[in-house]
Amino acid sequence: MNWLFVWALVMGFVSLIAAYYVVRAKDFVYASSALAVLGSIVAADLAILGFGIISAFLVIVYVGAAVMFIIITLSLLGLREEERRNSGRGVIVALLVAALWSGVALSAGIYGLYVEPQPVSMTTTVGGLLSRYSLVVALIVIAQAATLVEAISVARRGRGN
Amino acid sequence: MTVAYPVNLAVVAFGIVVMAMGAYGLTYSRNLVRQLLSVEVAFNGLLMMLLPLLSMNTSSATYFGVVVISVVSAEIIVVVAVLVSYYRTSRSMSSDKLEEVPE
Repeated sequence: MNWLFVWALVMGFVSLIAAYYVVRAKDFVYASSALAVLGSIVAADLAILGFGIISAFLVIVYVGAAVMFIIITLSLLGLREEERRNSGRGVIVALLVAALWSGVALSAGIYGLYVEPQPVSMTTTVGGLLSRYSLVVALIVIAQAATLVEAISVARRGRGN
Repeated sequence: MTVAYPVNLAVVAFGIVVMAMGAYGLTYSRNLVRQLLSVEVAFNGLLMMLLPLLSMNTSSATYFGVVVISVVSAEIIVVVAVLVSYYRTSRSMSSDKLEEVPE
């Protein structure tokens, strides 16, 4: 029995439950906490596949910083308001998206589905990023710094209102 | 006959469903916070779907993942800052009132 496949199925079902909770939970703090769970489950799925570095990066940068930022902000704001919902339109769009991406996965990625991913070492990844993609890394660092300044200035603009 | 690697197949299938759920949340609610959270659900689904499809070249998939996660984390911080500013101005998170916000 392929235990990796069983674990992928278990993680997949848990990710569906977490995604449903993010979309439907009335309290936004609980919904964003479920988003942190979803991010961790996706990281576990990627680790099962052999993408260990992306898995660690997802937990540290995405769940540990970005999603925690959402949770803390929503907790401090204390939002309590009714939502206007239109489930019919949502179901149609969800079906369209699922059909579209199933087509993409079956056509563009058909060869990738047959290959077992090979683990990549940290040395190879960092070496490749710093040699072949150094310009991309520089752009990301500049963009992150600009984002930080922009976020602070936008958040301070509303003070006093 | 060649058989698809089952773990890849399972993760891609669940990724498509998670992304569809994100699209559902994005369109069914008019609340900006719900829409942000739904976009993040769709992003997680996309990551689950695309990385197994790139498994022929794992190092390229790793570079792709690192860049995408960095960009999405920066995007979250900017969007949350904009939402906080909007909430302080209008005392609401409904996207219906976006046109009424004074400059």
